[in-house]
Amino acid sequence: MTTRAVENWTLEPLVKFVKEASARLVLVMTSAGQVLAQHGFSRAVDVMSAAALGAAIVASTDEIARQMGQPPFAALNHQGERHGIFLAAVATGRGRLVALVVYDLEVSSLGLVQLFFEQLAADLQAASPKDSVPKQVLAADFERELSASLNTLFGR
Amino acid sequence: MSLVNFTTREITCKIVYYGPGRSGKTTNLHYIYGRVPDSRRGRMVSLATQTDRTLFFDFLPIDLGQISGFATRFQLYTVPGQVYYNATRRLVLQGADGVVFVADSQARQLDENLESLQNLQSNLLEHGVDIRTVPLVLQYNKQDLPRELILSASDLDDALNFRGVPSFSADALHGKGVFETLKGISELVLKRLAAGTTA
Amino acid sequence: MTTAPANYTRALDLVTRVRGVRGAMLVSADDGIIVAEQLMEGIKGPAVAALAASLATRLRRAMEAAGVGASLFWHLQAEQGALLVVPTAGGTLVVAVAEPDVNVGLVRLELLRAGEVVG
Repeated sequence: MTTRAVENWTLEPLVKFVKEASARLVLVMTSAGQVLAQHGFSRAVDVMSAAALGAAIVASTDEIARQMGQPPFAALNHQGERHGIFLAAVATGRGRLVALVVYDLEVSSLGLVQLFFEQLAADLQAASPKDSVPKQVLAADFERELSASLNTLFGR
Repeated sequence: MSLVNFTTREITCKIVYYGPGRSGKTTNLHYIYGRVPDSRRGRMVSLATQTDRTLFFDFLPIDLGQISGFATRFQLYTVPGQVYYNATRRLVLQGADGVVFVADSQARQLDENLESLQNLQSNLLEHGVDIRTVPLVLQYNKQDLPRELILSASDLDDALNFRGVPSFSADALHGKGVFETLKGISELVLKRLAAGTTA
Repeated sequence: MTTAPANYTRALDLVTRVRGVRGAMLVSADDGIIVAEQLMEGIKGPAVAALAASLATRLRRAMEAAGVGASLFWHLQAEQGALLVVPTAGGTLVVAVAEPDVNVGLVRLELLRAGEVVG
């Protein structure tokens, strides 16, 4: 199974978590649903759907908590017949991140996921960059290539 | 907020289709979904009511391919248009890199368009974003309806386009103006990235 | 925080009263979550519960593969202590953490009795 990180500092904590918690799919994303790292997905576009839905669930429950005058919920768990889905937020130097974990009930459990999630949260917190990354600017030909790519994609 | 990674050379942007109920936001996404090759798009996710009204959002990820050496992907979202879904509308708007405002060109819908545009402004403000700084394009949908029922693009520009942003006439059901709109917002969002002006 | 039902407390009392037992827990076998506990300081309850439930699943499969039926009791002896577990028919694990020189026979007996109380 593939583990991939958009931001490299997330990779090591994620690999360790997947191994220890025997997780099947894992996503680490921003609270707006932008993926920072993932394990177990084969297509980038499928990862994006899962991230959009996961971030939406967390955003909805955060809003319910806010309307109730409560701090955000720590974690959510959905137990299915064969799989469980665990969603929780992590505070890091990169802002508030959301982790979505899908686990197979035959090889893992909520207890294991919760247990190693605590470690994942601590590892991500420790590994996250404390200062914002210096701004880099895209190449000068970006605009020209953008226009060509859009025309190709939309068949114009 | 868009994600630009210079190490893995990836760009991911979030574009939100906003507008009043039944203005054609979901129709835009359906048309795009139907026309972009399988290999370039993900599954379209629709969280809708039993009567096919958007309950939370529609979501369509598309892959623009390599642009200047960057794997570039867009996440297209719609919001529910009905007034009482404002809480979910505000959630979907979080982290948007660009907004397509889909207006209903029917003359009797003008108030709804104005109300929705004001709602966009106040919801952006709740996320700490000034509507004057966010990449925005307008789409005047349903321009295919009989002339006596609709306002012309220039009338709608006068009523809604206070920033003078790019605007597109459309008939989303049949695809007219859909890609032009998407291309318009894509250019604004990515030009903003290229200029290095993102937070 | 809610109080554990009286029979859970009674079940845990049976186990923890044995000399050398440092803690007892009732753990949901399916999800590895603690249902009730009486633990001495320093024992990481959630970790023991999650890992014991994970072991129980794997042991159950090994027993099935060996064709010897369901496991009734298991005992893991370590240098500095022991982990003793009785799975109940109702899907609960009765878990004891004990000193290395604990009377294993007695703990086993009390775990089985506790298992009957819990059901």
